[in-house]
Amino acid sequence: MLSGVHILSRARNRSVWATTPQLSRRALSFISVAVGLAAWELIGRFLVANSLFLATPLQAVEALGNMWIGGELQRHIWSSTQEFVIGFLIGSASGIAIGLAIATSRNAAAIFNPWVAGLYSTPIVALAPLMILWFGIGIWSKVAVVISVVVFPVMVNTESGIRATSPHLIEVARSLCATRWQIFAKVSIPSAMPYILAGLRLGIGRGLIGVVIGEFFGARAGVGYLIVQSAEAFNMPAMFAGVIIFAAAGIGLTAAFQALEHWLLRWR
Amino acid sequence: MEMRSNHAKLQVHSLTKHFGDLGVLVDVNLSVENGYFVSVLGPSGCGKTTFLRIVGGLESVDAGEIVIDGHPISGPGRDRSFVFQMDSLLPWRTVWENTVLGLEISGTVSDDKDRAMALLKLVGLSGFERYYPKQLSGGMRQRVNLARALAVNPEVLLMDEPFSALDAQTREVMQTELLRIWENGRKTALFVTHQIDEAVYLSDSVVIFARRPGRVQEIVRIDLPRPRPLSIKRTPHFIEYVDHIWKLIEKDVTAPSNVCG
Ligand SMILES: Nc1ncnc2c1ncn2[C@@H]1O[C@H](COP(=O)(O)OP(=O)(O)O)[C@@H](O)[C@H]1O
Ligand SMILES: [Mg+2]
Repeated sequence: MLSGVHILSRARNRSVWATTPQLSRRALSFISVAVGLAAWELIGRFLVANSLFLATPLQAVEALGNMWIGGELQRHIWSSTQEFVIGFLIGSASGIAIGLAIATSRNAAAIFNPWVAGLYSTPIVALAPLMILWFGIGIWSKVAVVISVVVFPVMVNTESGIRATSPHLIEVARSLCATRWQIFAKVSIPSAMPYILAGLRLGIGRGLIGVVIGEFFGARAGVGYLIVQSAEAFNMPAMFAGVIIFAAAGIGLTAAFQALEHWLLRWR
Repeated sequence: MEMRSNHAKLQVHSLTKHFGDLGVLVDVNLSVENGYFVSVLGPSGCGKTTFLRIVGGLESVDAGEIVIDGHPISGPGRDRSFVFQMDSLLPWRTVWENTVLGLEISGTVSDDKDRAMALLKLVGLSGFERYYPKQLSGGMRQRVNLARALAVNPEVLLMDEPFSALDAQTREVMQTELLRIWENGRKTALFVTHQIDEAVYLSDSVVIFARRPGRVQEIVRIDLPRPRPLSIKRTPHFIEYVDHIWKLIEKDVTAPSNVCG
């Protein structure tokens, strides 16, 4: 006391909300979704009440069940899955490869940069009809659309990631006698990893859109095809069922990828 | 300063370096004998980092030569390793992975694994092998940097103000730790600092750099017994060295030709 300083007793008033903010926020999100779905169901039943314009969530789920039992849904999902997976793998692998090339070789940069500049901000899905013309209405035209929309974000992010490598860390490796290749493999690539993963995450979203748009322009199967077909037949429950599948795929893939990202970047 | 001594581990001959019009180092000559701990002391901006980077082979020279064990250097080499001033751990590598980085680069991790483990123990980080840099304090990170530099078993250890980012207490702890680790093998060490007491405490000799342009002003031999406890800093002998060096530096700092501008 004489020293002018003394220890205060610990504060006691911690609120319940402050101790579990994540839990309560999660509850808020849940309530928000539940209220939204309930409102949609009620509006569809009592306000719009015309199944030519709007299906309710329950009707959509019922349509899902029926199509699953009929075996038709699996065929659509399988088709779209193939298109997405093949397109995403090829698109992201080439995106990473071209991005690395541009970042490390001036010649590669000179070759690719004009195309990147021209095409990066162009809505490439506009080329979907052309792809159908070139590759037919089987899965390969859709694979081509997915590749073309995935490749750019992955490529651009890879390049910026490599360029953002700390010169100091490169020098650290150089002081330990690393070769150019070792610097690239042990410093530049791991340091670019957060960027590359962010590019891939963008690619997932774009790739899904690519599948839908590609199938809109011509297909024999696929969830996007199911959506157009149902819309043309005014079969709203089936159409919304298709939308739900894409929404679920988007949410599921993004969440899974975020978990992977979180694990790979656990050092951050 | 014995030139071209027979047991010279490191020799610096007529080193000159400019950045554009700025003369950073002019005619620096130095010879360091095997197993000595030598500090380079000078105010900031006098070219200490540039000097050390040149010795490390990370920077080119305009004129002059660096000779290690009789061989002129032409770039970074396995005979030297660096402890940097800035945060230098690869953040995505664990303590262990950072420690063996140099061994990985030379392809000798499996041969030198035991030694690297012993080194981690020596720097006091046993049990932290799987930690990431973000989980470590500043002092612990510099311990890892030291372990990484020693793991490649260099002939000469180069350190550029490795403790300057640490708080005063951690800094003193790290100084004693560095001496303890250094006693274990006594590698030739070149240590850059702008703190007089740090230079005196650690070194066998203190090389005082004058600035604009950087050059060797004076070399002060520190005849204090080793091992040196921290309490040596309060002995009259130690304080005399610090005072002596202060006066040498004061002359340089207050001389009109050296005023900034
Ligand atoms: N890469 C560089 N390009 C131009 N000037 C530099 C460069 N590195 C250092 N300098 C200049 O050289 C001088 C000495 O710098 P440095 O060696 O870092 O000094 P110290 O480490 O003693 O503080 C400073 O004036 C600094 O601005
Ligand atoms: Mg410096």
